[in-house]
Amino acid sequence: MLLARVADRLYWAARYLERAEDTARLVRAHGELMADLPPRLDTRWEPLLAVVGSGVRVLDANGDGSGVQTQTRSALDVEMAVVRFLATDRANPSSVVSSVIAARENLRTTRDTVPREGWHVVNDLYLYVTTEADRGADRRVRDRYLGRVIADGRRIDGILATAMTHDEAYVMWRLGRAIERADMTTRVLGVRAAAVLSLPEHLTPGVEDHDEVQWMGVLRSVWGLQMYQRAVRGPIEGSSVVRFLLEHDRFPRAVRALLREIRLALSELPEPGGPLDAVADVEAVVRDASAASTDGHALDAAMDQVQLAIARLDQRIHERYLRIGA
Amino acid sequence: MTETAAATTPWDELLDSEGRPRPAAAELIALIERLGPEELQARQAAAAADILTMGITFTVYSEGSNIDRAWPFDVIPRIIEAREWAAIERGLVQRLRALNMFIDDVYNERRCVADGVLPAELLVDSVNYRPQCEGVHPKFGVWAHISGSDLVRDADGTMYVLEDNLRVPSGVSYVIENRALAKKAFPELFGYLGIAPVDAYTDELNKLLASLAPDTVTEPSIVVLTPGIFNSAYFEHSFLAQRMGATLVEGGDLVVSDDDRVYMRTIGGLEPVDVIYRRIDDLFLDPAVFRPDSLLGVPGLMRAWRAGNVALANAPGSGVADDKVVYAWVPDLIRYYLGEEPLLPNVPTYRCLDPAERRFVLDNLRELVLKPANESGGYGILIGSRASDAQLQAQAEAIERDPRNWIAQPIIQLSTTPTLCPDGIEPRHVDLRPFVLTGETSYVTAGGLTRVALTKGSLVVNSSQGGGSKDTWIVDLGSGWGSY
Repeated sequence: MLLARVADRLYWAARYLERAEDTARLVRAHGELMADLPPRLDTRWEPLLAVVGSGVRVLDANGDGSGVQTQTRSALDVEMAVVRFLATDRANPSSVVSSVIAARENLRTTRDTVPREGWHVVNDLYLYVTTEADRGADRRVRDRYLGRVIADGRRIDGILATAMTHDEAYVMWRLGRAIERADMTTRVLGVRAAAVLSLPEHLTPGVEDHDEVQWMGVLRSVWGLQMYQRAVRGPIEGSSVVRFLLEHDRFPRAVRALLREIRLALSELPEPGGPLDAVADVEAVVRDASAASTDGHALDAAMDQVQLAIARLDQRIHERYLRIGA
Repeated sequence: MTETAAATTPWDELLDSEGRPRPAAAELIALIERLGPEELQARQAAAAADILTMGITFTVYSEGSNIDRAWPFDVIPRIIEAREWAAIERGLVQRLRALNMFIDDVYNERRCVADGVLPAELLVDSVNYRPQCEGVHPKFGVWAHISGSDLVRDADGTMYVLEDNLRVPSGVSYVIENRALAKKAFPELFGYLGIAPVDAYTDELNKLLASLAPDTVTEPSIVVLTPGIFNSAYFEHSFLAQRMGATLVEGGDLVVSDDDRVYMRTIGGLEPVDVIYRRIDDLFLDPAVFRPDSLLGVPGLMRAWRAGNVALANAPGSGVADDKVVYAWVPDLIRYYLGEEPLLPNVPTYRCLDPAERRFVLDNLRELVLKPANESGGYGILIGSRASDAQLQAQAEAIERDPRNWIAQPIIQLSTTPTLCPDGIEPRHVDLRPFVLTGETSYVTAGGLTRVALTKGSLVVNSSQGGGSKDTWIVDLGSGWGSY
């Protein structure tokens, strides 16, 4: 027996925690990538903003409209502005810190369904990311800050997997995790598309921007480099990475494998017909998307299509399970 | 100590008048001396860190978005010897039996009025009297299943009942959490001293609630009904539901259907509910009967309860016996219903309703504590010795205007307990809130919640007003647990 309201909060707690963890991993992997690239481009950090959606820009002090403000456009300034926005800015509802706060708030109201130890981890993480938020973006603290979010994200999943009864409440958690994870994988690919698009005209895509290193960065952002190499046994090359992250059916952050997990989770819930149809729709969109070229515009548009299909699935789950009689 | 400079020295719970440890506290005091101040402060700090990690919080009204506060805990426990506690326990059980017989009588035959024990106008005027409850017969004749009476000890060592909290008393989760903290703080003593465990409460509560289900139900579905995350006791609602394996619900999760039964909305559809441990005040329970603007309650809940399809704990209307004016009659009610002498005394109480007693109160305002009949949480109380002339004048007028709403009591010199303060160990005033379960049988927590006024000289122990808490140890010096 699971209250619809509790199901809703568990689902969202899982989504927010996954978003925090994946954003942290992306920012961290991007930092490592940047350290390996020559300092030729001053817009190297800006493409990262595509993770929260297209159209978010770094603006200098004179900029108008919505965007991430910075005093000048020095490379360090832009880097700090982007990292702050994605990691420690409470005004950005998708930042790491905002996501952890939202996850904790959702879990706080469902404490009776989640093992205590799991709640303690989330509460502890909340205390850490909020008290350290002022320093979290600094280069020297950043790695520890983001690393803690990633490690605690893994810890809570481990605790729930091994200490929580695998009932409907746990299924809602799995569902939230898997849907957000699938969405975030497409967003990581979206960041790569944005990076290609931001390349100055005098540089040739795929040659002078160290294409292979960049795609390694994409794989690192989803902890996928090693598994990619095992699966592909060939050079790291864009279209192959896109196919791996969309179509692999066993790598746990590949979209197809996640859709499989979503199907399994849904099959444990009462009458999942509507949501299952929506999963089939996402699968169809993914098939088309993986055929798209790694040309910036095509990849960007394809990922938008997958994200929209996932949003429709989310909508069906809400209608079927989370809004009973409301 | 200027503010409490009374003629008498307060009773100390751990030390006798010569400053020597009382027998049940001897081991603890010896340990504290061995540890030294730095180690004790370190253990206090460790407990404070645990409170943050474990998310033991209480919520304070009107603090904007920062609503969740860490629970203030003092590491030095308050200790009561088991033999004394056994007597207190008997007194509490007796008191709650009588109070429940009174509530059942009030909503049915009203023998107590017919027999002249209680003035009729007292009931009519009580803001906690609910005409909607007339004629209902809850199981076992019990209405106030869960109560949290406040006990205070005067300078001469007498333990008094200060008030009976029969509506939605809170604090029991902190009894259990405080114990977990104390075990970590003093591992040297647990397992060696005979300290009564407190963990059984939630199990006893669960059994009690299950026993209240309609007789036709074999496996009752039990829920805890909370007003939600913004309520000051939300932590506790969640804690209790968790410990009992009950479902924590909000009003919006429940629905009363045309068959007068209560259901909850689940992902698989509507599921029946048999017992509701409600932590919502009467007036918010059912907008169809009480406050129509309540968004916390469930329309039709009273209908389902009156039809006997769902049990409510505590039953609505229980607060009629929680009235500070009715309080003054409790010793009489115990004698009337049980034919026994009260085992636990009331604080001597003057009833402003009575002309002679009112005259006395008005002539001696400065020596008395004035309490409004139906407030809780320490609100509306005036301590005569600390009031300005203008406040006393206003108080006198309030009494003349509405004598039924006021009682007066002598100032009780609340007992103290050694407490770890920034400058070392100092005495601080405490009270005690044991929790009593009443159904077919009775159960009393081993000890209860010791609340401490952390500000020097203060008598206000409420956590909403700067109070803290301590673990309470019932220590058996005699022949082990079998003796009582």
